[in-house]
Amino acid sequence: MKRVLILLLALCAATAAFAQGGAKTPVELRFTVWTGNEAHLQMLNGIAAKYTAAHPGVTVKFDTIPYDDYPQKLVLQLAGSNPPDAGWISEANAPAFVAAGNLADLTAAAAPYDLKDFSASATELWRKGSAIYGLPFSTSPLVVIYNKKLLAAAGAKTPSELEAKGQWTWEAFADLARTVKAKTGVYGFQTMDGSGYSDNLWATLVPMIRAYGGEVWNGKGVSTLDRPEAVKAVTLLHAMIYKDKSVVPPGEQADFFAGNAAMTVSQISRVSKLVGADFQWGLAKLPKGPAGDAQVIGQAAIVAFKASKNAALAADFAAFMTSKENVAVMTRFFPPARVSVLESESFTKGNPNIPPEAMASVVGAALKVGKILPNHPNFSEIDLAARACFDRLWRPDADVKSVMAAAARAVTPLLK
Amino acid sequence: MKRTMRRSAIREELFGYACVAPQLLGFLLFVLGPLVMVFVYGFQSRNLLTGRVSFAGLANYRALLGDPLFFKSLKNTLVFTLGLVPLNVAASLLLSLALAGESRVNSFFRTVFFAPVVTAAAAWAIVWKFLLQGDQGVVNQLLGVVGIAGPNWLLDDAGAMAAVIVTRVIKNLGMNIVIYLAAVTNLPHELYEAARIDGASAAQRFRTLTLPLLMPTTIMISIITMIGSLKVFDHIMLLTQGGPSNATMVLVYYIYFQGFKVFRTGYASALATILFAIVLGLTFAQWRLGKRLSYQEE
Amino acid sequence: MSRAKALRAAGKGLSVAALSVAGLPFVFPFWWMLTSAVKSPGDVFGRLSLLPSKCRWDNFAEIFSYQPFARHYLNSLCIAAVVTAATILLASLSGYAFARVRFRGRSALFLVLLSSMMMPAEVTIIPNFFMMKQWRLIDTHVPLVILGVFGAQGAFSAFVMRQYFLSMPKELEEAARIDGLGRLSTFARIILPLATPAISATAILTALDAWNSFLQPLIFINDLNKFTLPLSLNNFRDAYGSPVWHLQMAATAVSVIPILLFYVCAQRKIINAMVFSGMKG
Repeated sequence: MKRVLILLLALCAATAAFAQGGAKTPVELRFTVWTGNEAHLQMLNGIAAKYTAAHPGVTVKFDTIPYDDYPQKLVLQLAGSNPPDAGWISEANAPAFVAAGNLADLTAAAAPYDLKDFSASATELWRKGSAIYGLPFSTSPLVVIYNKKLLAAAGAKTPSELEAKGQWTWEAFADLARTVKAKTGVYGFQTMDGSGYSDNLWATLVPMIRAYGGEVWNGKGVSTLDRPEAVKAVTLLHAMIYKDKSVVPPGEQADFFAGNAAMTVSQISRVSKLVGADFQWGLAKLPKGPAGDAQVIGQAAIVAFKASKNAALAADFAAFMTSKENVAVMTRFFPPARVSVLESESFTKGNPNIPPEAMASVVGAALKVGKILPNHPNFSEIDLAARACFDRLWRPDADVKSVMAAAARAVTPLLK
Repeated sequence: MKRTMRRSAIREELFGYACVAPQLLGFLLFVLGPLVMVFVYGFQSRNLLTGRVSFAGLANYRALLGDPLFFKSLKNTLVFTLGLVPLNVAASLLLSLALAGESRVNSFFRTVFFAPVVTAAAAWAIVWKFLLQGDQGVVNQLLGVVGIAGPNWLLDDAGAMAAVIVTRVIKNLGMNIVIYLAAVTNLPHELYEAARIDGASAAQRFRTLTLPLLMPTTIMISIITMIGSLKVFDHIMLLTQGGPSNATMVLVYYIYFQGFKVFRTGYASALATILFAIVLGLTFAQWRLGKRLSYQEE
Repeated sequence: MSRAKALRAAGKGLSVAALSVAGLPFVFPFWWMLTSAVKSPGDVFGRLSLLPSKCRWDNFAEIFSYQPFARHYLNSLCIAAVVTAATILLASLSGYAFARVRFRGRSALFLVLLSSMMMPAEVTIIPNFFMMKQWRLIDTHVPLVILGVFGAQGAFSAFVMRQYFLSMPKELEEAARIDGLGRLSTFARIILPLATPAISATAILTALDAWNSFLQPLIFINDLNKFTLPLSLNNFRDAYGSPVWHLQMAATAVSVIPILLFYVCAQRKIINAMVFSGMKG
């Protein structure tokens, strides 16, 4: 038993020593990301290696936190005694982090890297006064990825063909999904990453709602989820899931990337999952609605945390990661926010899995007109409250109108 | 002589303090101290994201009174407890009576019923989450075999609550069976013999002998299970995250939700204070009940 | 006579059948976990099959390469071992003092102990977090050990020990004193060895409690290398956060099987220990 006590003491001593040590060189920067994709991490490590080459003794470790836990775990880490040095933040949480004051101002660090090259719209979310707290590395539109093999088996036209004819609407989208289900028995549509009813709720709802002329909340602090446009859009989605049964429903597993659904809404970073797929696939913009073309963009930026023990170095690395060369490297998965890169060949040819025409006509075109996904300083709470309301939508007999009204009632007080 | 007596008494006292000190100091530092802090935090506005702390007076408690989710979490806690405790107690009593006595069959089934107890709660919840998936889920496919169309368990308000309760009962039932078994084994055989000779039926014997004789055990098990049911964090977190539509949002999970998901640690502390008050009340009730029962026994 | 015999046999058969039905939800999850552990990703869902169509043993290799699962396993084992050892040491000492040593304030202090027995860890987790932050112990295993030892389970252990010591005959100590043994050596050499049933009961319960702990690692641990088993099981998710079911099942099986085997081998002892602690608790 004595031995055990000694062990216990040794453990305490060891961890204490661990916490104290490592103040001097070499430095390891801890960088939080939400991707666990091998290809993404390999690319990120490649950029980090370049930094290490230029700054001997500095290494970077990328820490994956699953997207759904990301803001929560990040806050916990920042509030704890071992905060990360830099990391990704998505558009949804940008206002909260910028307002909270735990991000470092990157103006000075980014000065050598031509800050003006970032489009104003891309950095809007990350500015406060004259300071800039995040450098966007990804402005990635939501796109429709489709399985050519399944669509051909169903004898249906592809989204791209419909798009070329100007017939690519959400109604057409629903028809396509229904046809696939009827003809092949396979689901026509899987929501983003299969989690469009919970973690990716907004990526499911927003494209349709906006195409129908609606919005989730307005600038005056009122949720507009109960307006007729939004209700109409969501009614279509609900009918697809429960009447047509053409969408992978909540609580079921059928993966687009494994060939078990004909279409999904996603971002081009996911295309790397299709390498080696046993089917041909294509990309299309989001369908239009009664209100016209409504493309939706997800955005993410690199930030440095004030709490970092190596704050200056962290800021420098954040700026380095979003240099022109590195943004060009990252176009492989993440469409750039830098105008110079967007207009160059490194964008259209950046992703080896996507033909340049598709990059230009789908991704590039969507980027030009797209609006960013919803965000708010109080996003975490809004998100959780809305999800709780929308849970009631995911059943066959749901009354869409009253669910939407309840969601609007729940969200509006949180917008204050 | 007297002096040595006193000295030995002092040494005895010192020995006693030395023995209890390590543990009690630990409790003081890591349980009672934080308990005081949680009470203090309850009067503060604290935010984990911004790190800002300010005095808030009774604001958290006032907010609590106007927070429908707080009342919902209280109600859910009550439903959970009222669903779990009777089910658990009744099932463990019946099974312990069925498994009393030494035989290979009984020993086998004891092993079976106790197996989930030694399984990590996380593992248990993960497996059940898998079994309870919608139409593809194993539970619904099995129910389908006997012609029952099960709901999408974890996405249906009542279904989720039922699923959470039942899977939790299965997880911990073995423990209560074992406690009951100890009591059942010690039941006085003579009384049963006498009752049988008097012509009492099995049901009568159960009602007039077994139930009253096991009452102290039943009360103890009920209290332990009830307090255990107030602490269902991991099970809820891994199965439903309080959903759907907050249908399984119980008080402990709501504390976590407020403190670590939306970062209002001050408000969460006020909630924690309420939970503490509830546990304190239950403990006190148990103490009173235990006292009365032990007087009765004497 | 033979009819009565037949009736009894039928009754017995019936009760075995009833127990089997009741036992189904207790064993079926294990069966499903084990069979799904060797299924391929595509086979995990889909048509109900009690046996995998083809065994994919690679799953077991994959769980160790997917994340440092072996490390997580070891972390959990170490934490459970340290918590259990420390708890037994402290709980037997204080349990003994509360049972057999006379000192002022004994009953008051015992009440303090009892009060912490009922306290859910969730009540104090927020101050504990800030405390550990102050001591720079976040993202170490120290908070898991400390809160494991001094939490409700520690108090319960002390309580069980005390009840056991109370039931031991006082003559033992008197004999030891006459033999000239001091207080501490009486405890260590005479009393403690006789308390094995209580010690094993508390050890099993404490180890299970530490092994199960979920909230504390969730709050205190960030570094993937320092994850504990429950966190690890929940972390078999793909790049976008969806569970990778076949690996999750394989990992769950690997985490459960050794404990289950140990339990089946030592079940009589374990259940006796439980009966014992149940009677006392």
